[in-house]
Amino acid sequence: MIPNRSLQNVCHPGLILLAMLALSGCKVSDLTPERISAITSSVQSIGKAARPMGEDEEYYVGRAVAARITSTYPLYRNARLTEYVNLIGQTIALHTDKPTTFGGYHFALLDSPEVNAFACPGGIILVTRGMLDSVKGEDELAAVLAHEIGHIIHRDGIAAIQSSRWSEALLVIGSNAAREFGPKDTAKLVSLFEGSIDDVFKTLVVNGYGREQEKAADAAALAYLAAAGYDPQGLTGYLNRLEQGGKGSKSGIFTTHPGTEERLEHVRQTAVTSVDTSAVPKRSRRFADMTR
Amino acid sequence: MKTNLIVILLSSLFCLPAAAETIQVTTRENAIRSDCRFFAPVKLKVALGDPLTVKGRKGDWYLVSAKGVSGCIHKSAVESRSFSSAGRKASAGGASADEVSLAGKGFNPQVEAGYRTSGKSLNYAAVDEIVKYSVGEKSLETFVLQGGLVQP
Repeated sequence: MIPNRSLQNVCHPGLILLAMLALSGCKVSDLTPERISAITSSVQSIGKAARPMGEDEEYYVGRAVAARITSTYPLYRNARLTEYVNLIGQTIALHTDKPTTFGGYHFALLDSPEVNAFACPGGIILVTRGMLDSVKGEDELAAVLAHEIGHIIHRDGIAAIQSSRWSEALLVIGSNAAREFGPKDTAKLVSLFEGSIDDVFKTLVVNGYGREQEKAADAAALAYLAAAGYDPQGLTGYLNRLEQGGKGSKSGIFTTHPGTEERLEHVRQTAVTSVDTSAVPKRSRRFADMTR
Repeated sequence: MKTNLIVILLSSLFCLPAAAETIQVTTRENAIRSDCRFFAPVKLKVALGDPLTVKGRKGDWYLVSAKGVSGCIHKSAVESRSFSSAGRKASAGGASADEVSLAGKGFNPQVEAGYRTSGKSLNYAAVDEIVKYSVGEKSLETFVLQGGLVQP
């Protein structure tokens, strides 16, 4: 993650204080209250410089990633379906441990027959028309959205950014909250931002997430679905369909690791809270009505 | 005599009036609600950086007051979170003014503006359209109810 653990350990205030004393050749007997105050201030500044990416910064990364994706896949402007997908997504989000993000959760449809979904950092989730066509019922669609929300809450997109980029950005940002960036610093930050977006885009669109990230997002999805009252079996149903439809396919959502078969096995083994499924047919009728 | 002095000192430590804890809103917009649940009536709309005085906690909610209004706000709207290298939540706590002002100093609208002119194929108009879209709270509540789902 950003900054990485090793950087955080190195920047432990106590270690920094000791290092500063050693480097300055300062003896303990030389320490006056003023000097201690100055050193403490410096230690605090360095500590702040090792901060992780803020949620508002993540929001701008997510916007840029979404801007890249929507330049390839145009928006599918269907007011009825867009509202429906947002209602399902918002319902699930309210049952997670992160119901609010800096810019909120937003769900949109992409006009593509490809079966795919993208979780842009910060809360923008994009689902293709092909994905909508491939799911059978509201609970399966909810499972797709819950899985993507899991990636957002786990910050999997942000984790794709090379840690060196954020470390470099922090050097430019510094620790002074009141600082205004000059043209040179702004250009450097834009360059680092651009590299960061490339990293996230490559993971989301080309390479896919890692094995553990997918499994964690699936496990989170099961919990969110159960908490919201959706049938967690919707995820199994969706993965089954994905496995059938994705055989031999090497593009889009099928590039993820682990493969669908392994994900299915993991989902089957994950303990799930039992939920009342009596309203599933009612929701399936709602889905059929919305998508006809 | 010595024992009495220790008792007085300890008592004074515990009896000191606790300084009111102030936290800040960490989302672009949010709300202080009359009850500690989503869909409860909104008493006051709040925005990024707004200071809130903490009066207590109730589960995932903070009991707060601001601008003479008291109510509840969900912790995710006011807490800053740090993450381990594995990307999982490591800790959480009310965001201080310092954290709120420092966050966003790097990747911000100024940097986004620079990126927009980078020559890459970008569709920010679509993104603005996406983030502008929202469903009404009443619609959401009805949707949950009609679908036999759980009220958050």
